[in-house]
Amino acid sequence: MATKDVKLPDIGEGVTEGEMVKWLVKVGDVVKADQPIAEVMTDKATVEVPSPIAGVVKELKVKEGDIVPIETTLLVLEVSAGASAPAASAAKPAAAMPTAPQMAKTVAPVASASASSGASTNVASGGGLDVYPPAAEVHVLATPATRRVAREMSVDINSLHGTGIAGRVTRDDVLKSKGTGAVAAGQPSFATTASAGAATGASAAASAKAAAAMPTRMAYVSTQPNAEERVPMRGIRRKIAEQMQMTKHVVPHFTIMDEANVSELVKLRDQAKVAGEKYGVKVTYLPFVMKALVAAIREFPMLNASIDDQAGEIVYKKYYNIGFAADTPNGLLVPVIKNADQKTILEISKEIQELAKKARDGKLSLDEMKGATITITNIGSVGGTYATPIINHPEVAIIGMYKVDWKPVYKDGQFVPTQVMNYTATCDHRLIDGAVAANFLKAFLKRIENVGQLVLEMI
Amino acid sequence: MATQNFDVCVIGAGPGGYVAAIRAAQLGKKTVIIEREYLGGVCLNVGCIPSKAMISAAHFLHRVQHDAPEMGIEIKSDVKVNMKKLVSWKQSVCDQMSGGVSQLLKGNQVTIIRGEAEFKTAQELVVKSKEGATSIVAKNFIIATGSRPIEIPGFKIDEKEVLSSTGALALDELPKTAVVIGGGYIGLEIGSYLSKLGTEVTVLEAGATLLNGVAERDCVQVVERKLKKGGVKIVFGAKAKSYKKTGSDYEVEYDLAGKLEKVKCAKLLLTVGRRPNSDQANLKGIGLQIDEKGFVKVNAQRRTSIAHIFAIGDVAGQPMLAHKASYEGVLVAEVIGGMNRAYDAKTVPAVVFTDPEIASAGMLESECRAKGYNDLKIGKFPFAANGRAVSLKETDGFVKIIADAKTNIVLGVHMVGPEVSNLISEAALAIEMGARVEDLALTIHPHPTLGEVVMEAAEATLGHAIHIIQKPLSRAEGSSVRATH
Repeated sequence: MATKDVKLPDIGEGVTEGEMVKWLVKVGDVVKADQPIAEVMTDKATVEVPSPIAGVVKELKVKEGDIVPIETTLLVLEVSAGASAPAASAAKPAAAMPTAPQMAKTVAPVASASASSGASTNVASGGGLDVYPPAAEVHVLATPATRRVAREMSVDINSLHGTGIAGRVTRDDVLKSKGTGAVAAGQPSFATTASAGAATGASAAASAKAAAAMPTRMAYVSTQPNAEERVPMRGIRRKIAEQMQMTKHVVPHFTIMDEANVSELVKLRDQAKVAGEKYGVKVTYLPFVMKALVAAIREFPMLNASIDDQAGEIVYKKYYNIGFAADTPNGLLVPVIKNADQKTILEISKEIQELAKKARDGKLSLDEMKGATITITNIGSVGGTYATPIINHPEVAIIGMYKVDWKPVYKDGQFVPTQVMNYTATCDHRLIDGAVAANFLKAFLKRIENVGQLVLEMI
Repeated sequence: MATQNFDVCVIGAGPGGYVAAIRAAQLGKKTVIIEREYLGGVCLNVGCIPSKAMISAAHFLHRVQHDAPEMGIEIKSDVKVNMKKLVSWKQSVCDQMSGGVSQLLKGNQVTIIRGEAEFKTAQELVVKSKEGATSIVAKNFIIATGSRPIEIPGFKIDEKEVLSSTGALALDELPKTAVVIGGGYIGLEIGSYLSKLGTEVTVLEAGATLLNGVAERDCVQVVERKLKKGGVKIVFGAKAKSYKKTGSDYEVEYDLAGKLEKVKCAKLLLTVGRRPNSDQANLKGIGLQIDEKGFVKVNAQRRTSIAHIFAIGDVAGQPMLAHKASYEGVLVAEVIGGMNRAYDAKTVPAVVFTDPEIASAGMLESECRAKGYNDLKIGKFPFAANGRAVSLKETDGFVKIIADAKTNIVLGVHMVGPEVSNLISEAALAIEMGARVEDLALTIHPHPTLGEVVMEAAEATLGHAIHIIQKPLSRAEGSSVRATH
């Protein structure tokens, strides 16, 4: 009987390590090829790692909770002699994972490079020797300078869709792939590297360093270290921190707030809720708010836009993907309802329910968190009157919705008990002026308050 | 034994090692380089550079003898070769280059230690020299120990009876006859200059072609024809078995299709390839992984199985070419300097200094097909149709361009002809930039130069070179697909 190490594969997307969340097998278990053996959480998503081959689990090399760099041996399998080992020693992640194709690519190119006399290389297999990002594959078109920028930014150039002539991956493609935040902060130093061309020695080192150290990392000096506990900032928490810091750095925020009379909306939703139960779907306020938002941003397209800092252009989006903030045990996640304008309240409700569950279980795929054009954060389900949320960059606005409350509203000479709900619109002031935001909020609340208007524009 | 501490320790001062040491020093690392023989390595001392000196001289002689009279230059007395003087001039070339390396290393504050290095542990190595032993402790090591000639059963290189390229380059008397075992680029370069200087050369090649896998078949044919015309005898399928001394000469026995044949010669050269020096310096002893071909296993950053040890150049994998080693040297020094670098060049151009020269960048036609490019556009343009080549009286050869017919992206450029070693860099740049054939065709190339052949070959690939007759594009053979981008 021979043994075989099963390693944490390169999951792609810049992921360098993962947290071993849960073993799905134990010592002595018989595993089949492609059977999931462990759940590993990266800073992007939780993935199931399958075994590349069949065998009997001999030893688990890592414990649940361990932080594991890619290419680390996870477990040792006892395999029958002669069992054909796959070409790549690393296991492949589940096919359902959106990053699977990229991962397959990252394993392949280094090996295939040796065939060509041109770029022939002798590459060690396994042993923790893989480099991220992997080298450009033979079919990938990008200039040497672009390949270098990609590497310095930890972008896998093989995973990019080139927008240049004949599918060339351009410098812009690389810069954009990391989000405009990195561009804005890192750009001067990249430009330095580029203009110097063969910038050598210390100057190149300095510029590379500057690029890497985008947000200044501040040390915290303890005064009472004994009364404190230090925990590594990892995974989703770190990702949230980076994203928030970058957005606050790049986007000048401002928030406008108002109160809406939601008496009609409450009635409408209550009826829909009862109707939805027959479908096994829980109908909340969120899908109605989404519909009101879609109608309002059709009127105010700059709310459904992005800024391309590189090109100096405003990108107006002709599609309506609504992100919604979901609180999970691991931190904030923003799943996306794609093409919300084309879906019914029932469809949206169902999708929200599914995505929220996936978010809580850490099972959201990257694809399900990508591509929002505007986001709604529903703080009302917890409490609070108003908040000033941070925009989900590269979007240019985020809508806050708060709890439904009874308030005395002065109307026709008397106070009438009325159900009200607060709303906020937080906007990117580079693109959206205060007056535009105020008019937008008015148009949005018109649909919230006047159900007739809302229903007129619904699918 | 004294111990010295460094940030970076480079083992081997060849074109990989010395370049790595200089870049490491430029990045502020305290750097030492250890060399047991020559600064500049095989390349500068007993390889690339001295062979080029000999080839230049031999070609010069050849031109004087064959081309000068036709150009109206009459030489009244005999043209003679003073081998001793030629070899000492060749040596002066090497000394000048090697001295330059020494100056560069010193100018960058790199410590040079002469001696044989051997790892004691993964953190420490001992350098032994005539003066004694020194211990070096370094944070990072770069193994750049190169390669040495392969031997075959029956032939042991001693540089007296059986010569490698090193011994051949040192000959200060021209042999009347020579047998070269191995028709690779080293054998052909040395064989052709010896032949031009006046030696009767026989090449014994075990395979069916010269320069197998290095160059396109049609490029090799041009060289083969010229070698034969110049009197070099090439025996294909000849497996050298043994040799014996007969007086001052040697008799080499070889198997040709099951029959034993013999050939006599005054000098015997063995040039069947090179093997990595991974069995030295106790690399295995410290646990470095070595692959089945003897190369130190490295990743795309040229990091070995021990994270703080790197390996570059011939010892770290194919192709065993000086310029690949230098590229890796810079790359590794920068990785050590904290930059994210990896080997992601698209092509390592290759040049062979035969007559005429062969050069290539990118993929061979067979490699293109193996990589899934099934629809290719291939165009050729001959030097015979180029004004500069004709005026140089160097008209053998052509430039061939292989492009993806769908996109016209240049995939491979293969050249045989005058100065193609100098023309290939344009092709390498085109491939690295992802250039299309039109980019080469539409770049104005100065007239009258050999470089125009590259432009015309690009035009030929598109089906409409000016200076050769091509069928109209619509009727050209192969794909009629025109890129739409």
